[in-house]
Amino acid sequence: MSFKVEVSHETASRKVVRARRPRRGNTEDLLATVLFAVLFAVPSVGDSYQVFILPQYMLFGVLAMSLCLVWGLGGILSFGQGAFFLIGAYALGILSTRVSGSLGVWLGIAVGIALSAAVAGALAYFLFRARVRGSYFVLVTLAISTIGGVIATSASDLTGGFNGMFISRVQLTVSGWGVDLASDSTSYYFVLALTIGVYVMLRWLSRSAFGRVLVGIRENEERAEALGYDVALRKTLAFSLSAAIAAMAGAIYGTEAGFVSPSLADVVFSTSIVLWVAIGGRDFFLGGLVGALAISLVSEKLNSAIPEYWQLLLGVLFLAVVIGFRRGIVGSAILAIDRVGDRR
Amino acid sequence: MDSFSQVILDGATGTLILALVALGLAVIFGLGGVLNLGHGAMLTLGAYVTWACQMHGVPFIACVPIAAVVVGVIGLLFELAVVRHFYDRPFETLLITYAFYLIATQVIQIVWGRAVHNIPNPLPGNVTIAGASTRVYTIVVCGVCIALLSLTWLVMYRTSVGTRLRAMLQNREMASLLGIDASRTYSAIFATGAALAGLAGALISPLFSASPDMGSLWLVRSFFVVIAGGLGALVGGTLLGSAVISGGTDVFSLFTSQVFAQTVVFALAILILRVRPEGLLRKVPAR
Repeated sequence: MSFKVEVSHETASRKVVRARRPRRGNTEDLLATVLFAVLFAVPSVGDSYQVFILPQYMLFGVLAMSLCLVWGLGGILSFGQGAFFLIGAYALGILSTRVSGSLGVWLGIAVGIALSAAVAGALAYFLFRARVRGSYFVLVTLAISTIGGVIATSASDLTGGFNGMFISRVQLTVSGWGVDLASDSTSYYFVLALTIGVYVMLRWLSRSAFGRVLVGIRENEERAEALGYDVALRKTLAFSLSAAIAAMAGAIYGTEAGFVSPSLADVVFSTSIVLWVAIGGRDFFLGGLVGALAISLVSEKLNSAIPEYWQLLLGVLFLAVVIGFRRGIVGSAILAIDRVGDRR
Repeated sequence: MDSFSQVILDGATGTLILALVALGLAVIFGLGGVLNLGHGAMLTLGAYVTWACQMHGVPFIACVPIAAVVVGVIGLLFELAVVRHFYDRPFETLLITYAFYLIATQVIQIVWGRAVHNIPNPLPGNVTIAGASTRVYTIVVCGVCIALLSLTWLVMYRTSVGTRLRAMLQNREMASLLGIDASRTYSAIFATGAALAGLAGALISPLFSASPDMGSLWLVRSFFVVIAGGLGALVGGTLLGSAVISGGTDVFSLFTSQVFAQTVVFALAILILRVRPEGLLRKVPAR
């Protein structure tokens, strides 16, 4: 191996790192602030249906951001996010009816998150240790969502089986203080705050040392390992955290929507999550969030009118993103704004 | 509790049917290096083409080759248009074939609707072998599977085409230098795999009715067949993988529920993926 080759590797990697961290770097946060401001204003100007439905879509957005964490930042594509979302929803549904009071609610949320994180962590560590990665890991995540759906359908004593289960709106209280999600407007602001919180946390994480090493692993796993990082451990932590976020979103979604069924782990829903993130832009958390919100809003209108053609259009968009439009729509917009800013 | 011979017969037919379904995937993955997430959609296409031909009065025995050719041509066009530019990036090919699945599934629904279609069994009646009974048609499908696997083995190890394919697997650059047209070979591999998927979809359609999502039910199982069987070990690997996945499910479901058995077998496949990433039959070193 000649010296020149090494040098070119080095420049290429530096270019990648610089592209990931534009000097201003705040375009994403600025656009996110605008989005959150608009969402904050919706209850005062919009109708009651929007106040009812938007929290569910925001939770899809949180789910999409959990995929951005592993796929965009870590380069690990997961078709299993739907299963973790499902675990979160069922855990809350099952425990809030079986354990009375606010204890059951908190226990439900905690168990869902812990169970998802543990399953994801154990499986990921088991496989990443043996250097199972890329396409093979994708297949395992595909199996996770299949198994999740199958278990949810068959354990009908607990989950209501194929028909799903109803979950009432819960109260999140600590010794009398807290929020009552029974009111649509209260739960709207609660979910908005949660979405903002997850966004801020993930943005912070992506700027932290952990996030940067994760990007380094995505770009070149061998190099990261040669530099002394425990690659398997870091990838496992990312996957496990992403599963925990998905489960939390699932728990709140369960009580928001009032209903959960095994279809949340099926191929269609797992596909939707990947589509949101790919079309929105996997490299940016805002891309996943906007992708989920926008596609869910349009789907709601078009799924009743022209379902096949709309889904076909999404498929074609996905193909376009994969072939030559890697950044997705929001990602491209952010980079275009950055470029205009650079020129000035 | 079924008799012992019934268990053996069900296990064997289940294994062979799964091997038939997975063969197209194994060809594209083992020879072309592409994890074809569109495989399920190709199976579905095969089943729907069969149904559509039957609606136009074509006898079933003619529908099957038509389905194989139609799906093979679609696969070839997709390869020529998109997949061929991405062979050096395996992860991208996974996403591209996933896009194929999304698009094909919707086109199927636009053309043929969402309804489930039943394809009448072309060979009604049961057959009894050593006290165990099964459908005549199932036996015929298993026969076709054995014939196809034998044919694949013959092509791979007894013809010049097979020699070239194995040369490509071992060293693509060297094979190209020796005059093998790599890009045409890859096109042929993809088209063959697609045609095999179409054929399998057509053949299993009378056993399991045709619905737009029938392919995704088989997709994960087929993948685990290929993973357990291993890259490159086309015939033996597919058979062994099918035996592990299908037979394993049958064995475990003797003791527990079908669902739990399925889960255990998936866990088993993940274990195989971990301890022997190149498959149980490790023939070709990982590329």
